[in-house]
Amino acid sequence: MHTGEQSEIFTIPIGPQHPALKEPGHFEFAVESEVVKAASVRLGYAHRGIEKAVETRSWVQSLYLLERVCGICSHIHATAYCLGVERLAGVTAPARAQAIRELVAELERIHSHFLWLGVAAHEAGFESLFMYSWRDRETVMDLLEGLTGNRVHYSANLLGGVKFDVSATQAADIRRGLDFLEERTRRYLDVVTSDETLLRRTRGIGVMTAEQAERLGVVGPTARASGLTRDIRIEAPYAAYADYPVEIVLHTAGDLAARFAVRVEELFESYRVIRTILDAMPTGELTARMPRKIKSGETLSRVEAPRGELVYFIKSNGSDKPERIHIRTPTICNMASVLTLTIGRQLADVPMILVGIDPCFSCNDRMVVVDSGSDSPQGWTWEQLRQYGIAHYGGVA
Amino acid sequence: MNTLRTLIMLLLFPGGLFVLLNGLAYEWVKRKLLARLQNRVGPRWFQPAADMVKLLSKEEIVPAGVDARLFAGLPLVALAGPLAAALYMPLAGVAPASGFPGDLIVAVYLLSLLTLCMGLAGSNTASRFALVGATRTLTQLFSYEAPFLLALLGPALVTGSWQISAITASTSGRWLLLTQPIGFVVALVGLMGKLELPPFDAPEAETEIVAGALTEYSGRGLALFRLARNVALVVGLTLIAALYLGGLAGPLDYLAKTLGLLVCMVGLQALLTRLRIDQMAGLWWRGGALLVLMQWLVLIVWHGGAP
Repeated sequence: MHTGEQSEIFTIPIGPQHPALKEPGHFEFAVESEVVKAASVRLGYAHRGIEKAVETRSWVQSLYLLERVCGICSHIHATAYCLGVERLAGVTAPARAQAIRELVAELERIHSHFLWLGVAAHEAGFESLFMYSWRDRETVMDLLEGLTGNRVHYSANLLGGVKFDVSATQAADIRRGLDFLEERTRRYLDVVTSDETLLRRTRGIGVMTAEQAERLGVVGPTARASGLTRDIRIEAPYAAYADYPVEIVLHTAGDLAARFAVRVEELFESYRVIRTILDAMPTGELTARMPRKIKSGETLSRVEAPRGELVYFIKSNGSDKPERIHIRTPTICNMASVLTLTIGRQLADVPMILVGIDPCFSCNDRMVVVDSGSDSPQGWTWEQLRQYGIAHYGGVA
Repeated sequence: MNTLRTLIMLLLFPGGLFVLLNGLAYEWVKRKLLARLQNRVGPRWFQPAADMVKLLSKEEIVPAGVDARLFAGLPLVALAGPLAAALYMPLAGVAPASGFPGDLIVAVYLLSLLTLCMGLAGSNTASRFALVGATRTLTQLFSYEAPFLLALLGPALVTGSWQISAITASTSGRWLLLTQPIGFVVALVGLMGKLELPPFDAPEAETEIVAGALTEYSGRGLALFRLARNVALVVGLTLIAALYLGGLAGPLDYLAKTLGLLVCMVGLQALLTRLRIDQMAGLWWRGGALLVLMQWLVLIVWHGGAP
């Protein structure tokens, strides 16, 4: 036998157009006979300059723009923003509004986790689970539509409160929908914890220990699957989470199977807390009066999005427009773990590990200008950024 | 007169047109059934044919860096293999158009031409997805082929002939499925591997390597590969039904038995998660091959070693 053969490493590109990713991101995996040796990522294909754009818009207009950071978890972005701005203005939204915020946030979590379950099943090549979980997701989409008029961008928040009330019939609809979903979720939990062929693709794959998770700074269900107690709903309750608390769902295995289990088990916790809210909804107003100009100051608003901790830094200079808003989305915190965990794994595990963090690419994209030649600490204006974008993508101004 | 008969045999029935149409019909059954099992609506009855017409009318793009003649020729060979194999099959329950002692082996190898051509097609292109796909296709071929062949030779061993018509004649009415259940299961699952149906679809796992070996194929080439796979489906189902389900006594018997097998395959397809390529190879060599060899041992001992 002779072993002096040159090993052949070649690079498999995934994205920005690839069937595995429905969103644009570019990964390069150097593989040697199916085993990943190196991984790199390039993000930024969906950069829309939202952080910059809000600086030229009023506090109210910014709300609608920020809701569109993410197509899945639009409500939680708006909630983080509203809670922060309300804190700056010294206004507290009424208790009923806070309860409705939590209610919609948990419905959104159900919708997001069902979506994820389908995508993860699809990446594993388990099309039946994909089709069934997306069919059942329609139930929660219908509930959200019945409540807010929209399936995706519910636009439930206002500065100082919420836009709509929950009527008795809507509450009854939600309960009925949840009963159906809970029964279905039990089946899915059974599938993800006991289906042997699926477990062969998830058990012991992409294992991240608690120390690794701590070091890589992962958040949300990905961290909770590695045994880290990270859940803003519990650590720093916002909206109505102090009155209607949720229990943390923890797994310690840290593999893909644990990430499946955490997300599916969190659904039960969402069903429970939604029922509690509907049972004991506080009465009263839906909105508090908000000033047009927000007192100058800065604040950090932290919420638990379906994918993990979402942080809004909001700075006001006392005018009717934000001075600076910075958003830290959960995906960008979790992305580093993908690159670490895929090394040494099979190529077939790569999409699974990637989808294990529930990535959201449009949330991800940031722009940093490093200009060492200039002394000015001033960033770009919105118009400069716009012109740069037009030039970068080859358009004409 | 003889020439005319040969022409009809080659072009209309049982080879040629009949087996192509049969393949399209079975593709529809497969897609519709899978869709219904997955709570989808599924395609209309003429969809597979419409897909073919559309693909055939599309421009075929020959990518840079390939051997153009090989690129164009491989789909033809891939289709010719299963079509030739069809001549030895009791299609529609009618006696095979052709046959000679040992045609079982020839038919199985003609079926393998399809996989071989796909592997070559993948390695012929410069696409990295196609290269990985080709490696996986060939890895899979070497994994299931031996157990699959051994499973199909089980009935031959019992009846003492390696000619398909002779085997079906001597087993007619006797369901070897009952006496050789392992062989039957391995043959059916092997056919799924051959056709790269889930859970053996790692060679074309779209979430990893786009369309695997066929990534660079479009238009006519892709249409021919798909037709070839449909023909291989029909031929494979007929072969298993003829050998293990007590032969095919007529068109109705043929329909019932092959469709029954197809339903089993689609059911498995809907139930299982895709196997990784290393898991697949392990499954075949540690599971499939050993089980079939065990059954062979039983058969040989039972029949006193007489061929």
